[in-house]
Amino acid sequence: MRKSDPWLRASALVAYAFLYVPLAIVVVYSFNDSRLNAEWVGFTLDWYRKLAGDGAMIAAAGNSLVIGISASVVSTVLGTMAGVAMHRYRLRVLPLLILAPIAIPEILTGVSLLIFFVMLNVTLGLVSVAIAHITFCIGFVAIVVRARLAGMDETLTEAARDCGASPWNAFRYVTLPLIMPGVIAGALMAFTLSIDDFVITFFTAGAGTITLPLQIYSMIKISVTPEVNAVSTLLMLLTLVLIIAAARISPTLLRSTQESTS
Amino acid sequence: MNGKTFALLVAASFALAAPAYAKDELHLYNWNNYIAPETIKRFENTCHCEVIQTYYSDNDELLAKVAAGAKGYDVMVPTSNAVQTLIRGGQLMAIDKTAIPNLKNIDAAYLNTAFDPGNRYSVPYAMSTTIIGYNDVKMKELGLPTDTWAVIFDPKYLVKVKGRVTVLDSANELFAAALKYLGYSANDVDPKHWNEAATVIRKAKPYWAAFNASSYIKELTVGNVWLVHGYSNDIFQANQDAEAAHRPFHILQGMPKEGAVLAVDNMVIQKGAPRPDLALKFINFVLVGRNSADLTNLIGSGNPNLDAMKYIKPEILKLPAVFPPKDIQAKLEQLKDLTVAQRRLRNKLWTEIKAAK
Repeated sequence: MRKSDPWLRASALVAYAFLYVPLAIVVVYSFNDSRLNAEWVGFTLDWYRKLAGDGAMIAAAGNSLVIGISASVVSTVLGTMAGVAMHRYRLRVLPLLILAPIAIPEILTGVSLLIFFVMLNVTLGLVSVAIAHITFCIGFVAIVVRARLAGMDETLTEAARDCGASPWNAFRYVTLPLIMPGVIAGALMAFTLSIDDFVITFFTAGAGTITLPLQIYSMIKISVTPEVNAVSTLLMLLTLVLIIAAARISPTLLRSTQESTS
Repeated sequence: MNGKTFALLVAASFALAAPAYAKDELHLYNWNNYIAPETIKRFENTCHCEVIQTYYSDNDELLAKVAAGAKGYDVMVPTSNAVQTLIRGGQLMAIDKTAIPNLKNIDAAYLNTAFDPGNRYSVPYAMSTTIIGYNDVKMKELGLPTDTWAVIFDPKYLVKVKGRVTVLDSANELFAAALKYLGYSANDVDPKHWNEAATVIRKAKPYWAAFNASSYIKELTVGNVWLVHGYSNDIFQANQDAEAAHRPFHILQGMPKEGAVLAVDNMVIQKGAPRPDLALKFINFVLVGRNSADLTNLIGSGNPNLDAMKYIKPEILKLPAVFPPKDIQAKLEQLKDLTVAQRRLRNKLWTEIKAAK
């Protein structure tokens, strides 16, 4: 390998700093012994203690998790099916239908879903928010899965069919394991998109349904306290764990399939 | 994972998400931090019910949601002009006055306004004024007045605090202040007067650091900004923060002698509220002086409740921006909604102001 270009290294460093310094500041100030996010006063765990006793914040985090998990599970199933369909049947309207929710401005999706739910007399609450999130997550999962399928060797599925596997078995034992990294990436993406969505959630949440972004946003008016930093730090930790878990799961899945097909 | 497991997972996640409507619940759609936790606790104890709050941070958010058909709120706390919009849209339930005898505690000056004649749908809750906030040490050092809008708009004063001033990022609030400065009503709709106000704003703009509606509390407390056009509650908060951080200065409220904008928030009941009985109980409960005083003691909000005065901390009672003296009170105005044509003109002027160098 050639010695790396110092310019390349410098620009990579700048890019990483740009991405991670703001996050690091949020974490650091969650331990700051001052209500102001302005200067370092001293180390404290008070904000985490306060967070632990803040019923509204915990309820909001709980709601966000429930919605995030349901949205991620359902949209991964539907999105994977959509991705496979888009790959296999080259219909022109299909991608349009599946990907439109991504392109439509969020505010439009939010308002139209709200009007739709009201029309159908659906009680606004966790379920309506979860359905709304599934709507916009499907497209993202489908894109990732389709990209993965595009790089897959088609002959493997055909070989499985030649050897007598039913279409379902060929999908279940050959295609699915091969696209698993894409499916997992899609699921994670759906989870993160759901957990931080504000606009669509705002419109589709009913009386008493508060998610973390809604809670934090409504606090901005009275100035954000380090309690928000604390809850953000915990969220980052959760995301980090998820990414590490996914990174550990998908390569093994990939390896085992390569072994079994070779 | 096979199909059955998927189906189970989906079913489970929705079962978890299903709302429970077993207990007596009051749904309050409110601004964040706009009711004292102890008030809620006391109410929950007397009504044997649970208060569930959802928050909005702008009247437009509330209007957008309710207009699109969101249901399920019992009590909401919109500002007067939004109350008027809600009444016009047929979104509110008339309030049964016999169920809220404590209405007698409210100062008559805040009842029967043009926004809701006869208070058929709304009851005043709390209020704030849009005023001047300043760093007492810096203003004294520079010898600047703090009781006139001139300090925000007149380059003669602004030159001394260039880059240390912020104004609200709100066309309606800023125009109201400029109109007041010029001696007009905050609700003046004469385009000629609006142009004058726009000129005043444009001349002052180079001296302002920013149009800021969210972080000026912090900027004041830290000491980056010395003078703001802002809400009385926020400036009260800034001073509390400054004291808690042992700053060598105070953040004080300046009530302009020309008058200012008054914002009154009102309790209303949504039409089709699940529990109008609890809503009326809640409204009557909040109208008790001691309960109403909790909020003022917490966030320094103005209070229209005469029975609350004896429970309010004396240092808050003497703040002129929270409890204005009679002569100033006469110069406070609540903002009225603009017509579509007026809004278009104001937006045009505002865009020109924002774009100007």
